[in-house]
Amino acid sequence: MNRELLAKAKSLGFSDRQIASLTRKSEDDIRALRRQLGLTPSYRLVDTCAAEFEAYTPYYYSTYDRGDDETRAGDKRKIMILGGGPNRIGQGIEFDYCCVHAAFALKEDGFETLMVNSNPETVSTDYDTSDKLFFEPLTLEDVLHIYEREKCWGAIAQFGGQTPLNLALGLQKNGVNVIGTSPQSIEIAEDRKLFSAMLNKLGIPQPPNGLATNEAQALDAARRLGYPVLVRPSFVLGGRAMQIVYSDAELNHYMRFAVEASHERPVLVDKFLEDATEVDVDCIADVGHFADPAQGTIVIGGFLEHIEFAGVHSGDAAMVLPPHTLAAEVIETMRRHTHAMARELRVIGLMNVQYAVKGDTVYVLEVNPRASRTVPFVSKAIGAPLAKLAAKVMAGRKLTELGFTKEIWTDYWAVKESVFPFNRFHGQDILLSPEMRSTGEVMGLDADLGIAYAKSQMAAGGPLPLSGRVFISVSDAHKKQVAAIAREFAGLGFEIVSTAGTAKVLEEAGLKVARVFKLAEGRPNTLDLLKNREIQLVINTPAGQTPRADEVKIRTTAVYTGTPIMTTLSGARAAALGIAALKRCGYGVKTLQEYH
Amino acid sequence: MPKRTDIHSVLIIGAGPIIIGQACEFDYSGTQACKALREEGYRIILVNSNPATIMTDPEFADRTYIEPITPECVEKIIARETEEMRRLGAKGRLVLLPTLGGQTALNTAMALVKRGTLDKYGVEMIGANAAAIQRGEDRRIFKDLMLSIGLDVPVSGVADTLEESRAVAEKIGRFPLIIRPAFTLGGTGGGIAYNREEFEVMARRGLELSPVSEILIEESLLGWKEFEMEVMRDKADNCVIICSIENFDPMGVHTGDSITVAPIQTLTDKEYQIMRDASFAVIRAVGVETGGSNIQFAVHPDNGRMVIIEMNPRVSRSSALASKATGFPIAKIAAKLAVGYLLDEIKNDITRETPASFEPTLDYVVTKIPRFAFEKFAQADPTLNTQMKSVGEAMAIGRTFKESLQKALRSLEIGRHGLGGDGRHWRIGNDVYQDRDILPRELISRRLTSPNAERIFFIRHALRAGFGVEEIFQLTKIDRWFLVQLKEIVDVEEELAASEP
Repeated sequence: MNRELLAKAKSLGFSDRQIASLTRKSEDDIRALRRQLGLTPSYRLVDTCAAEFEAYTPYYYSTYDRGDDETRAGDKRKIMILGGGPNRIGQGIEFDYCCVHAAFALKEDGFETLMVNSNPETVSTDYDTSDKLFFEPLTLEDVLHIYEREKCWGAIAQFGGQTPLNLALGLQKNGVNVIGTSPQSIEIAEDRKLFSAMLNKLGIPQPPNGLATNEAQALDAARRLGYPVLVRPSFVLGGRAMQIVYSDAELNHYMRFAVEASHERPVLVDKFLEDATEVDVDCIADVGHFADPAQGTIVIGGFLEHIEFAGVHSGDAAMVLPPHTLAAEVIETMRRHTHAMARELRVIGLMNVQYAVKGDTVYVLEVNPRASRTVPFVSKAIGAPLAKLAAKVMAGRKLTELGFTKEIWTDYWAVKESVFPFNRFHGQDILLSPEMRSTGEVMGLDADLGIAYAKSQMAAGGPLPLSGRVFISVSDAHKKQVAAIAREFAGLGFEIVSTAGTAKVLEEAGLKVARVFKLAEGRPNTLDLLKNREIQLVINTPAGQTPRADEVKIRTTAVYTGTPIMTTLSGARAAALGIAALKRCGYGVKTLQEYH
Repeated sequence: MPKRTDIHSVLIIGAGPIIIGQACEFDYSGTQACKALREEGYRIILVNSNPATIMTDPEFADRTYIEPITPECVEKIIARETEEMRRLGAKGRLVLLPTLGGQTALNTAMALVKRGTLDKYGVEMIGANAAAIQRGEDRRIFKDLMLSIGLDVPVSGVADTLEESRAVAEKIGRFPLIIRPAFTLGGTGGGIAYNREEFEVMARRGLELSPVSEILIEESLLGWKEFEMEVMRDKADNCVIICSIENFDPMGVHTGDSITVAPIQTLTDKEYQIMRDASFAVIRAVGVETGGSNIQFAVHPDNGRMVIIEMNPRVSRSSALASKATGFPIAKIAAKLAVGYLLDEIKNDITRETPASFEPTLDYVVTKIPRFAFEKFAQADPTLNTQMKSVGEAMAIGRTFKESLQKALRSLEIGRHGLGGDGRHWRIGNDVYQDRDILPRELISRRLTSPNAERIFFIRHALRAGFGVEEIFQLTKIDRWFLVQLKEIVDVEEELAASEP
């Protein structure tokens, strides 16, 4: 290939990857060839004036169009922060928040900060946030150019979510100093075999599990573990294609249509722990700075207890900080495990662990030695900027120097609730699952747990009703527990409405129930009541694996009529708690500055 | 004009949780506003329920309320803060800035006006007054206002009931019809009806979803070219265009779901000047006293008829894009204008020499591409229409449209490294094609006709399958200029594939 063609392709925006594939070479070959030919991009300023006046804010983009390079040299040590790219479900504003904090923190510590990101909606791409802003794609090619041109000292890949994390190993191979927890440790956490080996060594239980690269292996694993099993591809964020399967047929379908399994990217098959309580733990550590890991400091930022039982993606679950039902011994066990893993992985910066508690056993589900989605929430709840502290630790500081060595336990409650886009996707069922589908989150803060929960519902756009009718229809598996919940609502002055099956159970428990027709039985049915706004709250838990068409209609109608709906019993219980608290004393407001 | 000294505290309402149509751009604008107003010495009170935002970091405001953004709750905050200001012996007053927190903040502010809360506590709204917001947001009033200043609007009618809806449809006289519910965000509940049956369903849904039970029914502008202008105005009636944006996808696709390009590429200077004048006329007629507005236009591709689609009397999603595309910090400047400064009194941070009254000039091309998440909502219809469905966006800058487009495509995080030729397969339904396979013509035509998230890639498939630019234009109504650019990219792809190793 001649220089002229290569230059033309680059000026039309072709990536090395495209050129390599089209000319049957490797990306590394093309990069080497370009270097040899002296074909590298120049960096131009976004300056509002088409270069008519001198520009002082360093906001750059790259181009292969001929022209002078407009970057300026500086004398401070430079750290590059890799952003998260476009928002999508599973990778949103939480990661941008962490990147912005990294920029603020490192600036405070005397570094020159460079932000690389391609998302125009964010604070990270404000030219005020970092010392230099590069509005560029987050690919190996584009990032390497900037790193080399700017002669950076290090790069942070653990704050922007999965996007920069996927680049970390490639960057390291090309001579980039990826600061913080080493990419090797990150790999241990992400590679199922290495991870299991580590847990065995530390004596920490995880749900029985297996790996599969094809259908036969998946079936083998599932039979060995026993259904239900949780299946998911490796190396993804946001629970993409994560699913609970209950039978061979479902598993076959999943392997055939839902994932692309390969030798490098096997499918993970875990025993699913039914009715377990999940807990997210965020911690910060500086262990990797010490030759002896025992010298390092590890501080847990927060324990977040999920309101929904295991099986709901942690990005979709409602959470309570501090935990509201867990025993002190269980919390101590989680603390011990967290510390052990942070030491073993020689963590420098943030780490998130997901636990499932079933009975007295605490299982580790997942460890992520990087900034997690819950970091901003925890930081706001406890009043300590975890991402900022972590960035300083990653750049060399110790937690003892920073004065952050003790866990903070609040005497008020912080509830996280998720917000979903179901009103945009008509006909889409709204059941929560291991596949994350929420786009955002809200926080409810109060000294009373019920009020904090009620505020979270208000903020999420589904305020709890204080009176009226509650429609209850639950699966057979939940019929035993439903009477107690219905009694709470009756006690709060609600009229209970149910279809035959649930009504029978409630009547037998001595409750007064107004019966309503199922969709096929006649009119007016549940949908009519919903559409006429004659139901103020829906409690509907799914019956079995394949939801009945009736149920889906009830749930989607609730969404489109704006009726609050709980699809888990734990959610319904929390709602009762919230309504009781609101009826008792109403709610007040208070600033974050007063809480902390 | 100096800044106002009668103000003691400014209450800023944020946008709440990230939802489709209201993403982190409002954290960006809110954070800028907090910084800009604090710099001026005002006491900042902030309410936002979203803890993942930078603006709710305790150091960005004096009083940070992570509380629900409901009229009732904000009223409690106003009551509490009025009391607190009395305790502090504050000399100035409390004002409310509602134009930086998207539709959520604007709707909440309007509800507070209606409840009488602002009057009761003597709180003044700054940035935009209630009457201007009403004129910009109420489609009926807006349409009449536009006609009264001699600007063209789509033939349309407003309906409050299903019967009225049918009468309006009858009056317009031909399908398809566009249905837009009033006061909803990102076109929630809107749609395009191609027949009576669809019309009935959509009209009913629109009436139910509109908080004021009102829908606008419009003649279809499907296939028209779509443009946006970001305008700012100060108290002395200085107006500037910050950025002009052209939608690659013609009318019929929500602008949040369109590929957009800045500056405008396919208008003549004369056409652009007409649109610029119209933008100033609109912001003056609506009466947005200070701050930014976003105005959307449609232009008929053959006869050039220009109509106004809508205006947002506040900082919008497009303002964030315009700020990043030009380097001009719209939210920051809007906050300063709201407290009394004039455009020529505010220095541009970038040049430190030119004032904010200089219209930005671009010597590059910016392309924004939306990011979708249909893989998460398998039961939902992936066709793009007037209701926004994308969950994020990537932007890229290059010296030509071609360079910025390919950079934006590889920024999308969908596994592609450009328009094509990156060696990755194409999964279409249950079929898999290799990267360089020629796809069946019939499949391509289908995917070009109805807008979808992958249409840009199907234009490449079409060019490689021998479709001409004119043929693709007829199927997509995407301006021929853009198609020619794509053809140049595909031609180089072929040249590379044919080159000697």
